[in-house]
Amino acid sequence: MSVWMGMPAFPDAARKALADSQLRANLRAATGTIRAKRAAVVAERADWPELRAAGRAIKDRALRDLDNHLSLLAERVTAAGGVVHWARDAAEANRTVVGLVRAAGAAEVVKVKSMATQEIELNEALAAAGIAAYETDLAELIVQLGHDRPSHILVPAIHRNRTQIRDLFRRTMPEAPPDLTDDPEALAAAAREHLRRKFLAARVAVSGANFAVAETGALVVVESEGNGRMCLTLPEVLISVVGIEKVIPTWTDLEVMLQLLPRSSTGERMNPYTSVWRGVRPGDGPREFHLVLLDNGRTDALADEVGRDALRCIRCSACLNVCPVYERAGGHAYGSVYPGPIGAILTPQLRGVDADPVSRTLPYASTLCGACYEVCPVLIDIPRSLVHLRAKVVDVHRGTPSAERAAMTLAAKTFASPRRFALAQRLVRFGARLLRRTRLPGPHSGWTDARDIPPPPDHTFREWWATRTDTPVVDHATRERARLDSGTGAPERDGPREDHARGAGGELGAGNDVVLGPGGAEVLARVRSALGSAREDVEVPREYAHAVEDDVDVVALFAERAADYRAVVRRVAGDGGGTAAAAAVGQALRELGAASVVVPDDLPAELLSQVDGVVLRDRGDLTVDALDRVDAVLTGCAVAVAETGTIVLDAGTGQGRRALSLVPDAHVCVVRAGQVVGTVPEAVAATAGADVLTWVSGPSATSDIELHRVEGVHGPRTLVIVLVD
Amino acid sequence: MRVGLFVTCLIDTLFPGAARGVVRVLERLGHEVVFPLAQTCCGQLHFNTGYQRECVPLARKFAADFAGLDHVVSPSASCVAMVREFHPVVAALGGGDLPRAVTATVPRVREFTEFLVDVLGVTDVGAVFPHRVTYHPTCHGLRLLGLGDRPTALLRSVRGLTLLDLPDAEQCCGFGGTFALKNADTSVAMGADKARAVVATGAEVLVAVDSSCLMHVGGLLSRQRSGVRVMHLAEVLASEEAR
Repeated sequence: MSVWMGMPAFPDAARKALADSQLRANLRAATGTIRAKRAAVVAERADWPELRAAGRAIKDRALRDLDNHLSLLAERVTAAGGVVHWARDAAEANRTVVGLVRAAGAAEVVKVKSMATQEIELNEALAAAGIAAYETDLAELIVQLGHDRPSHILVPAIHRNRTQIRDLFRRTMPEAPPDLTDDPEALAAAAREHLRRKFLAARVAVSGANFAVAETGALVVVESEGNGRMCLTLPEVLISVVGIEKVIPTWTDLEVMLQLLPRSSTGERMNPYTSVWRGVRPGDGPREFHLVLLDNGRTDALADEVGRDALRCIRCSACLNVCPVYERAGGHAYGSVYPGPIGAILTPQLRGVDADPVSRTLPYASTLCGACYEVCPVLIDIPRSLVHLRAKVVDVHRGTPSAERAAMTLAAKTFASPRRFALAQRLVRFGARLLRRTRLPGPHSGWTDARDIPPPPDHTFREWWATRTDTPVVDHATRERARLDSGTGAPERDGPREDHARGAGGELGAGNDVVLGPGGAEVLARVRSALGSAREDVEVPREYAHAVEDDVDVVALFAERAADYRAVVRRVAGDGGGTAAAAAVGQALRELGAASVVVPDDLPAELLSQVDGVVLRDRGDLTVDALDRVDAVLTGCAVAVAETGTIVLDAGTGQGRRALSLVPDAHVCVVRAGQVVGTVPEAVAATAGADVLTWVSGPSATSDIELHRVEGVHGPRTLVIVLVD
Repeated sequence: MRVGLFVTCLIDTLFPGAARGVVRVLERLGHEVVFPLAQTCCGQLHFNTGYQRECVPLARKFAADFAGLDHVVSPSASCVAMVREFHPVVAALGGGDLPRAVTATVPRVREFTEFLVDVLGVTDVGAVFPHRVTYHPTCHGLRLLGLGDRPTALLRSVRGLTLLDLPDAEQCCGFGGTFALKNADTSVAMGADKARAVVATGAEVLVAVDSSCLMHVGGLLSRQRSGVRVMHLAEVLASEEAR
């Protein structure tokens, strides 16, 4: 992976950032906002510890048997009409993507925010091949237009405030009105205008994925603005670059991840949009789907018995938002696309701890305060990994003399003997008296530049203790130590473990050479070698809530939670004939001022009886431009989730293809009370086996400007839910 | 009760008042304090800086120095965390008899407030300290040991003491061992924010259960001529200062 060219070691980069008071103010405000939002939605879940335990186990289960899960994923994606490619490193991934874009005859691509493609510097590789890449996530757009670098995983432009963004848009966006204000709503609207044509005309899109389900071959992208849906749905060719650690074993596992990720990441019960797809679906979405599975150092991390925990990361960025070091130093100081605590353990592992000054210093870019571990949804003990990586840095340099090594060796010798220690104490006291009014020399000047040295005491504790009469002195220690010293054996790391490796082509996905190719064979061989005896069948504890409490009225809860995320909810009585529902639909469209509405061809006709305007029936023949000219879309749904206020569309009866509910600016969705389930696990179970799913929670939204939530970006800006009892 | 004192190298050398406070409080409560003279350092400095191999002899020495004591008490949350959380890791590295020795000793090691509240079951230790105090929960005490409200429960029972809430108390002070030197600028920036929060409370004294963090924040408060003193919790609990 790339560490940005010429990045200085962390302490130097941090020093520069600390001097930027605007940056510090932006970061303090933004991280403070998101910390509070996360805390509120996490506190809402009494089963949060159980969800985290399950999240950890799901990722471990995938990782501890990764070759088999990857083989199965590749097999299932291929069976669903996708094409699987394997990339051993960034260069191979970039070559693959460039080749695919060229084969599609495209000169530009639209991109969904993706950490993996930033990691491999895909945009630069595409540019070198004469292909323009347009970032479509608002924050990524801000970064791209400013020729800047991302500084946060979730909110890459967190270091910019609204005024800075307004100035940037005025300078770089031809479509931006000259009187553009710094109001986040206005800025989001300008971005919508800027990207609209690109979405509608794009032939190739590039994405990453949040999860890849081995069992079904489903890919999952979690987003807010609708730019993801645009990219995943409208172009002819979709290329997804996905790290091999993104695989999760089963469909059911999504019920955990779809709760952990939004609450930890944006601090929402559910993000506005989640897209799920398997391969290609005729008449709905891209004609070609390519999955590029990326290693690029991940198998090196997998081989490390402690460091491999970092591969559990689901890129929520909760650790960044609570990190006091990140808050002061900012994301750029971390010198890579992965900033903050997770970056401090991921970057050195993907690169090698001794690869460059950044990787060498990142493990030390922490006070080990543990705030990151406290919020991590998959329980990555980041401080433990940091200390482990520090040992690796030290061990690489054993044999090379340094002032620190000399001091540590001397200290170790001193501490080995109480006599030498007492002598050293006297020297310290003497030195402290001498230097009390001065500044410390050399590497210790960092202390005295801003901090006084404490006045040395007249006596050490042990000197004081010796002055007390009748002091009991414990001397059994000598005897005990002698006994221990005699029993020292050779250092023993991991004991031999029972070998239950399943080897190549195990029970899951039988070795499929067509799917693998040379790249895949090598990646899987690396995985097997990395796992060695660490292969394990991990049990997933599922003690979290699967249903709401018996006394909860799920329909009322759904109405309340959907409204929380700014959906307009109209609740009407069910009257058998559907007259009340039709009246509510007609009224909703009138209130929206919709002169035209598009509906799926199989939408029940009675719902349209009160519609005044033009009704277009989609038989898959309407162009994207035609959809863009329609004022509204009317659909049903497959299931609705009370707890999160979410509607789920599976492209089944009365829902139409995915583009239908995406392109028009207003979406009216009819939800029947019987379709409402209580929880995310119930909804995941109810939609098992679907080829495509769109989870919608409120209108499209962004929090990319100062983490201020703006409703309405690329997806429909209005969502009306007609809830029929 | 016979209680072994694990003083820690830093407190022994630079902040003996904290350890004297532990002795005074425990003796006042009628317990016998023993001080194993062979003790030196738990190895936290080495471990956290990456010198794990150097910790093996120190973990072995610790297990031997404190073997046979039913209760070991320390005024340093971070050193207790090192012993309890990471000596087992070091022991695995060292092998031989070490894991067994560590397993035998480690569970009997407690941080001072844990010992008072959990083992002795007291929160009122008969202290008098008529001052305005604010309390900073140090990270290892807060997150690794989970001290919770034990320290503040003890402080609230001190006669004359006014306990003031510290804003953003759970934010790290920025000490972090060698972090304070390796990333001095960031460390000072964090410490300055902590110092500002302390001063804003109007407290006369900042109290914590880690002398290392107090050395850092205290160094800043002193350089700023803030007039705020730092004290270890044990010193406050030892105080019988007249009203």
